[in-house]
Amino acid sequence: MRTATLLLLLLLAACADVQQPPLVASDVTITQPMPGKTMRAAYLALTNNTNEAIRISRVSSDAFANVELHETTVVDGVARMRRLPLLQVPAGGTVRLERGGKHLMLMRPTDAADKMSLEFFDGDDLLLAISAPLTPGSD
Amino acid sequence: MSPKKLIIALLLAAALLAGLFVAMRSSTPAEPVAAFVLPAPLPLPEFSLVDQFDNEVNAETFEKRWHLVFFGFTHCPDICPATLQILAAARARLAENGHAPLPRIVLVSVDPERDTPAQIGKYVGYFGDDNLGVTGSLDELLKLTSALGIYFEKQAGDNDNYAVDHSAAVLLFNPAGRFHALFSGPHKVDDYVHDIPLITKRYP
Repeated sequence: MRTATLLLLLLLAACADVQQPPLVASDVTITQPMPGKTMRAAYLALTNNTNEAIRISRVSSDAFANVELHETTVVDGVARMRRLPLLQVPAGGTVRLERGGKHLMLMRPTDAADKMSLEFFDGDDLLLAISAPLTPGSD
Repeated sequence: MSPKKLIIALLLAAALLAGLFVAMRSSTPAEPVAAFVLPAPLPLPEFSLVDQFDNEVNAETFEKRWHLVFFGFTHCPDICPATLQILAAARARLAENGHAPLPRIVLVSVDPERDTPAQIGKYVGYFGDDNLGVTGSLDELLKLTSALGIYFEKQAGDNDNYAVDHSAAVLLFNPAGRFHALFSGPHKVDDYVHDIPLITKRYP
């Protein structure tokens, strides 16, 4: 019985040691462009699995020449959109980019592609690279 | 009075009070949950803009039907599509519920430099066939927005890449072409589905 308990504890300890990726993306949505437009928006959740804040200073894509992080705010009834120079994901926390809030603006598509990459950097350090499908717009 | 009769009398009184209470509650009229209905509908100012078909848009355009009016711009990636989607969804639910006549959804551009009639037509058309897109000169737009208390301000940006701050409210115009009620937001489909029939039933 004691051996079994000891083995179980060791097993649990081993499981706790399994490495999770430091930064993980989920719930990724890429909008269709509006008719006559090429710009899209990207929404997603970013989770920080480390015990230090993660700073994202740049986002790039193989499918868009220009990717910018923006935030919509509605204050005193006025909607404003402002570019954010960086995004902080707190230690052990999740930041959600969603409608009416923070979002990525994807501008100047490089070619007609049915999928895109998104790379998240802190300076020159690549933190995370993901891929997402692109549904064509109606025109 | 004997104790027995007293108890009966008290029970009857309690039943009567309970009945009155229920009756009062069910006859109290429901109120809008999100809309602010103006104490007196506001006439629209004189202005002259154009729609996606190059027809003139003025105060008369908004007569004969209820209109849900939003001020935004087609280069807006987030809140404008989101709001128009909510209005379209609310309209669809009202149709499902048999509400008639249905309001018309209108987008007035606060970015007349970039939003041509063709541009705004394509954009509003994405959210429904009956939708109206309005654009025109900045001076005429200002006549309309300042009378309605709608704010907008173009932001600095390079060349064609700029944002426009704008009021997030949706305005309801009545069939006399007057500003009738204000939905300040945040905009929710359920709120429109609840409030619009209530408001239109009480009109004029």
